[in-house]
Amino acid sequence: MNKETITIRNDISELEKIVQKLEFIEEKWELSPKIIFNLNLALEELISNIIFYGFDDDEEHEINISFEKEKTLLKILISDEGKEFNPFNVSVEEELDKSVEEREIGGLGIHFVKKLMDSFEYNRVNKINNITLIKNIN
Amino acid sequence: MEISVKTKENITILELDGRLDTTNYNEIEKKFDELIGNNQINILVDCEKLDYISSSGLRVLLKSLKSINSAKGKFILCSLQENINEVFEISGFTSIFQIFKNQEDAIENF
Repeated sequence: MNKETITIRNDISELEKIVQKLEFIEEKWELSPKIIFNLNLALEELISNIIFYGFDDDEEHEINISFEKEKTLLKILISDEGKEFNPFNVSVEEELDKSVEEREIGGLGIHFVKKLMDSFEYNRVNKINNITLIKNIN
Repeated sequence: MEISVKTKENITILELDGRLDTTNYNEIEKKFDELIGNNQINILVDCEKLDYISSSGLRVLLKSLKSINSAKGKFILCSLQENINEVFEISGFTSIFQIFKNQEDAIENF
């Protein structure tokens, strides 16, 4: 089956499970270390945002991640029940032209996602945030 | 991630081994703060064995660079792996940091 899923809690230590899952699919689908590096970076940036800013309460929440391989594409879906938030509305392009003294780091993570993935999309359905990423693995 | 520290003349060399990410960036942040607090402001960060970095790691490096610049010290990086170098390029960090191919070249530039 060309689908793998993982569910994590909204705790930053759970990122380790994503690293392990990526190691697993690297072997299973024979993906290059470079693709895995890029996926790891995109997922860490998006999911750490969800964990840090997505929930107003102190309750435990689930974040679901699925990986689907379709020929030369890898489709990743991240779903959470947190606040409505489209991470791709944040712009950092101006920030990149600034000197070291002026530079702030916010938004850089999302910039990585935009640069390293072949497509990215956000929607909200039935109070669930859905982020879809596509990476060409050819 | 493992951090090993050695000193060569007046340069403090930090060799990073493993992953620098959201789960552990505070370890190296503490190390840099400690060194800068002790006025060890000529710092070389050797990334030969650093396999992964995310924006949390970059934020710590940028913060330390700023502190060291204002203390009139030097903060230099060397031996970036290809994937990490790409992250630096995408961030625009290659024009902010002094980055050298290996420790030898880096040390000559202090």
